[in-house]
Order: sequence, then structure tokens, then C-alpha cells
Amino acid sequence: MNSIISAFSKGIEKSGIDRKKISMPSDVPFNPDVVKALGVDYFQIPRGRAIAFGTGLKLGNPSLKVVPVAGDLMTLGGNHFVHGARRNMELLIICVNSFVYKKIAGKPIPSTQSAFSPYSTFEEPFNFPHLGNSCGAIYTARWTALHTEELADSVAEALHKHGLSVIEVLAPGPNYYTDIDSIELELLKFYHENSTIKNNEDPKNVAIVPDEKIIVGKFTDKERPTFIDSYNVQHSKILGDKFTPHGGKNG
Amino acid sequence: MKASPTDVLTGIYYIDGDVAAGYGALAAGCKLVAGYPITPSTEAFEAMCRMGPQVGTVFIQMEDEFGSISAVLGAVWSGVKSMTITSGPGYSLMMESIGFGAMLETPFVLLNIQRGGPSTGVPTKTGQADMMQSRWGSHGDYELIAISPDSPQEMFDYTIKAFNLAEKYRCPVMIMSDECVGHMTEKVVIPEADKIEIEPRRFYKGPPEKYLPFSPDPDLVPKIAKAGDGLGLYITGRVHDERGYPVKNEEFKAKYVRRLVDKIRLNKDKIIELKEESTDDADVVVVSYGISSRVAVKGVEIARQKGIKVGALRLVTVWPFPDEKIIDLAKKVKAFVVPEINYGQIVFDVARCCHGQANVVLIPHGGAGVHNPLDISDAIESAAKEDKKIEGVVEFKTRLEKIVFERGLKFKE
Amino acid sequence: MAEIRFAGYGGQGIIRSGIIVGRAASIYDDKFSTMSQSFGPEARGGACSSQLVVSESKVLYPYLTAAGILVAMSQAGYDKFEPELSEKGLLLYDEDLVKPKASRGNITPFAIPATRFAEQLGKKIVANVVILGFFTAITKVVTYESMKKAIPDSVPEKAIDLNLKAFERGYNFGLEVLKKQKEPQ
Repeated sequence: MNSIISAFSKGIEKSGIDRKKISMPSDVPFNPDVVKALGVDYFQIPRGRAIAFGTGLKLGNPSLKVVPVAGDLMTLGGNHFVHGARRNMELLIICVNSFVYKKIAGKPIPSTQSAFSPYSTFEEPFNFPHLGNSCGAIYTARWTALHTEELADSVAEALHKHGLSVIEVLAPGPNYYTDIDSIELELLKFYHENSTIKNNEDPKNVAIVPDEKIIVGKFTDKERPTFIDSYNVQHSKILGDKFTPHGGKNG
Repeated sequence: MKASPTDVLTGIYYIDGDVAAGYGALAAGCKLVAGYPITPSTEAFEAMCRMGPQVGTVFIQMEDEFGSISAVLGAVWSGVKSMTITSGPGYSLMMESIGFGAMLETPFVLLNIQRGGPSTGVPTKTGQADMMQSRWGSHGDYELIAISPDSPQEMFDYTIKAFNLAEKYRCPVMIMSDECVGHMTEKVVIPEADKIEIEPRRFYKGPPEKYLPFSPDPDLVPKIAKAGDGLGLYITGRVHDERGYPVKNEEFKAKYVRRLVDKIRLNKDKIIELKEESTDDADVVVVSYGISSRVAVKGVEIARQKGIKVGALRLVTVWPFPDEKIIDLAKKVKAFVVPEINYGQIVFDVARCCHGQANVVLIPHGGAGVHNPLDISDAIESAAKEDKKIEGVVEFKTRLEKIVFERGLKFKE
Repeated sequence: MAEIRFAGYGGQGIIRSGIIVGRAASIYDDKFSTMSQSFGPEARGGACSSQLVVSESKVLYPYLTAAGILVAMSQAGYDKFEPELSEKGLLLYDEDLVKPKASRGNITPFAIPATRFAEQLGKKIVANVVILGFFTAITKVVTYESMKKAIPDSVPEKAIDLNLKAFERGYNFGLEVLKKQKEPQ
């Protein structure tokens, strides 16, 4: 997790965006010192609700840059993700995929066991970039805890996107694993041996499949009106002068 | 602080309670409404969708009730006033984040137009069976404020009051209305903006490095901040210290959660609004709230014509509960009569405060309608005649219940 | 106190009728009025009704206890709500749409070809306003002047003239009916 946070911090630095304007609603618990170092406003919220909470932050103050960090995204927060992408709410979603579902040849992570699947996992996982893209997200990428430089670049780029961006990060979540300390180094080695960078790959081809290399990269980058853009256009058209556009151009 | 003239739709209207609550929220300065439409609260949402964009209030139809209330909390932390509107099953879905909102000391308003329950129940008809849920629905210890209006005019007035209380005590405020009031159309007078008092948010204005998000003022309520002000907020639903940082030990848990409940309990006198009538020399006092209190007035009038000394106590704020008032009255009266559209909720709090000093009579109603005023007057009459002390809550058999039981719907002996 | 039931089918303006009379009573006549409407599938095309209580003092009980007036615009509405009409009640109905049963108690029936009048005025949709004019003349629950003010508040601007004409038509017909009633047979 720490490598992701430092990559994230580097990404903010590169983007040139004022850290004070960044809000991170997250269902992944961050240490206060980490948040302090990041220099952002942090909200640890109930599981799965990061995107919905972020939607409120953004609509309440469109000048904020809102970066929901989601661990339970695709379970409890699945609906928020799908609809957030559909309405193209301007959010940068960092989706921390901690391998609770079937991943690599039936083994969640090399030489570790998931506490919730002592007999290994068997459920199919989501293909996040594909799901996000098909629901309307304008920017999709996937990196692992090993690809910190690329991750920082993606963060910097996506922070300037107007619309919903999703960056999937493959990393172990400490809650799920019985032996977190021993996995970090081995994991990086595993990512090194088992991942391949394919930028601009069609997201439908990037599902994580047992015994195949994990495809990482920046997959899609497009433009589409955000929720606030469409809200303003629609109401201006009908209400004319009676309507004051919300949040100016920044929406 | 006065309301902003651009938010107030001054005029005389003939509208239903839902719409009046929506206009009240706009007048109070609510700038984001997030909701998922559900009968019978839909008209409130519709009113805000229609008028909101004309007064600078954003509305968003969220994907579900989890999303609605989460967006409301997010909006509040971005610095604006916000509310959500729901009913029945939607209210149940919101429970998780009501506790979260209470834990974060987030000022927000939730309008619940109660319908017949449980489950899908009777969506288009009335009920008052969410009262205990509003108090205890989310897990853990917390306190909040609940108000129960009885007419469209009150829906307007008390929605503004709900926002004011939320800001003042930094807590969730529930407007526990019901379908009858929500769908009742009456005259509503919306005054000029300068006649409407608005509680400003308790923003922190000191130096950023000294800000402690959960360091309370003397009234136990801390100053609030908003995202984007460079205060480096660390806000969590975990038990936290004054900085907002998570803490686990017993001592801190006691300190923080104690304050969370005490800020409401110790400010009770300032929060509670009651409407009390002729209780001084009453033999029987009718305790009621919302639409039931309005119907009860008619029952009280009928009982008075029969020469019974009966008073009325209307709980405008249901939570926090006016313990002291009931304790006080219990020493003087023979009995309390409590009509509510459920099978006993608030009546048990009345009984709790009675300590067996007065009889407590529940007039139940299964929902999908309101009480027959004759049942209320009959219950008053029989309570006034009863000289024995009866333990526990006595259930009055209403006309409706008698019909149901006569048809043979009875429990096996 | 007057307790009134408007009954018909969805799309006839039954609920709007309740709103117009309620508005006239509480805003322009300075009385108190409470209108409640039926919700659910019945309000979307099927049988539909609204109930209105008009009183000199605050309306405490929001629903009807004994309907004093039934305004019926459909047979189904009549069949459903006729039994709740009190024995001294007034029955107002569209004679082309409702075939009433034999009168019971001291119920006084008043018939009007409201839909036919509305069609003559050019729009069937104003039949409810025709019957409101009739209602005003017969029942005197609200004043003619207040209704003339309440109608423009409740209809789209371009339809105000037509609605006022419809109201006049029903009102005048009502006055004629009353006059005829007073004349010895």
C-alpha cells in the first residue's frame, strides 16, 4: 500500500494541482501520518460508499478535485461505480484490487493464503477497466504496486481529466491476508515476472486470467460531457435566464 | 442570520405537505438534494427538481438510497447544506450512513414521509411505525433529533427548523412526517425572506494549524470545516480524538461517544419543542405527535364535551424524548393516552417515564389510515374512569380492531 | 363544515377539481380546507377520487367522516362512493356518464350534461370545470368570485379563457336548475 501512496503523491506533484483542493473519500483506512504527508483532505467512509460520498463533495463544491479510493468498490460500491461512470461524474477513482477473487491459477497471491479462502478461490473476478469503459468512464488504466512511475504518470494525467477516470491498482489489502509482511517483496517479484505493459489495449482484452500474464497499461482516454456539463446545458436550454449554471466551467 | 431572498419562494400556496417541505428546504438554503424517489415522498423530490435549478439548488437522482445519503454527507463536508428524502424501504437502506453522519457530527436533514410498513407495506397510505427506527436504526450509541409536523404549513416551517437544529448541534435531523401529511393539500404561507431565521454553519475561522475538527465548544458542539480549505482534514467513522485520528482505547471511546450523546442530552431543554394544552388540572393527558396529534384534538374535544378533564401534550420534537415532562405529569395525572399509527413505539417511552405512577393506554393503529377520533375520546373516557393502577401498557381496542377480531382473526388460546 | 368527494377516472381532472375548490375556499374565501387524493394505480387511469373538507375552523380530521356532497364523473366512481354519501347529501353527476340508482334517504340528485357542454365549448377536458361551475351554484360551499380567482391559478395560461367559459356555463346551468326547482311543478 505504501508504494501506491508514494506513487499517488508523486502523481499529484507532477499534475501541478494544489493538494489542498484534493479530497480523498476512501473506504481503505489510511494512517493519519500518510494523509498528512499527502496534504489532502481525507474521509474514511463506510465500505463501498466512496464514490457516492465523492459525488456529494464534487456537486457541493465543483472546484474540488475528488479522488475516491475504493477497496470494496466492486462489491458494496458496484452500483455507485456503474452509475458514476454512466453520468460521468468528475472523479478519479483509484480502485485498489486486493485479489479477493480468483486470480492467478487459483492462488490469490504467491506463497500466501487469503484468510477468507484457505482452500483457494473459485469465483470469477470483474475486469474493472472494461466495466468502467463500457459504463462510460473516460479514462481507464491498470498498474500494479510495482509500476510506481507509470502509476504516478497516470494519476497526474487523470487528475486533469473532466469526467470519471478509473485507475485499477493491483495490491494486497492488509485485511485479507494472513501474512502481510512476507508477501511484499515476493509479490513485487511476482508482478515483475507475470505482468506485461500493453498501452491502448482494448479493455475487453485485459481480464486477469489464470496462467496468463496480467496486462497493465493505460487503456482508454476520451472526452465526454460530465454530469455537471449536461446538467447546465439541459437547464439553460429550458430555463434560460432563470438558471445560473452550476460551478462554472470546472464541472 | 436571515434567509436569502433568492431561496425563498414567498407567496400563498395551496400545496401538499411534501411540496411544502421541499420549499422549506430551499428557503433554509439547502443547496444539494440527493435522493431516490419513493412513494409517498416523491412529490417533495419533484418540487425540488422543479424549483431547485431556479434558486441555485442542485438535485441529483442517485442510483440508490445508500448513494443518496452518502452524497448528502459528502455535500455537507464540501460546505453546503444538504438533505435527502425517502420513505419505507429507502429509510431502512439509509441506516448505515445515518450513524456515519452522527459519528462525523455532520449537519444534514432527512425527510421521511412514513408509509405503512413493514417491508413494502402499503406504499400509498400512512403509518408512524418508523419512530423507533429513527432513534435506534443505526448501530452503536448516538443521539439525533426528530421532528414530527402535522400540516403542510408545519412541513414548511419545521423543515427550516430542522436545518437550523442540524447546524446548531451538528447532528442528523429527521423530519418524521407521514403519508397523510405529505399528501394533504392545504394553504401554506411562505413569508418574506427577512422573516425567516436561518442558523449559519459553525465554521472554524481560526488559524489553520490550530484547527481541531472535534474539539468542542462549551455547548459540547465542535466547529466544522469544509474540504478544500487547506486544513488537512482527517475525518473517519472510527472513534476518534479531537484531531479526528482513530483511537481504540476505552478511555477515548468513553470520552468521544459520551460527548456525542451528551451534546444532545444536555442541550435537551433548548432542542425540545412541545405543545401543551390544559394539562394543569387534567385527569388524562393525550400524548401524541404528527398527524395523530391533529386527529387527537378532535377526540379531546369530544371527551371534554362529556365533562372529562383532559389535556394534550404534543411532541413536536419526538427525539430527544421529553423524559422530565412525562415524569412531572405522571405525578399529577391518572393516565396517559397515546394514539399512534403503529402497535406501540413512543408509548413505551411514555411508560418508561411514568414509573408506574399513572396508567398508560395505547390506541394502536395498523396503518393505511388515521385514528377514528371517537376511539380517542372513548379511550380517554375509559382511562378517566379507571381507578385501579394497571401495570404495563394497556391496549385500547379500537373500533377497527374489534371489527377485525369479530371476523374471527384471533390468536389461538 | 362541508365534506366533499370528487370521483371519476384518471385524466378527468378529478384531483385538480379538489385543488381548485380547496384553493378557492382557503385562499380566497378565508376558510380552512384540506384536500387529500387517492394514490396508486387508481390515480393513473382507473377510478380516481379526491376528498375535500371545507370548514370555518382548522380541519382536524383530514378525511371525510360522512360525505355531504358527491361529485360523480364516472359510473365506477359513483358506484364506489355513493354508499358513503350521507342521507341528507347532495349528489352532483354528469348525466351522460352516470346512471344513478334509485335515490335513497333524502339525497338530492343534480344532473348536468357536463361533458357534452365541454365538447360544445371545444374541449372535452374542461368537463370537470363545467361541473365545478355547477357545483358552485348548487352547493354554495365556495363563492362564485373565489372560484373565478382560483381557476386561473390552477390551469395553464393559454387555457384560462376556456376554463372560465366552462365554469360560467356550468354555473349558469346550476342557477337555472335551482330556479326550476323553486318553481311549483
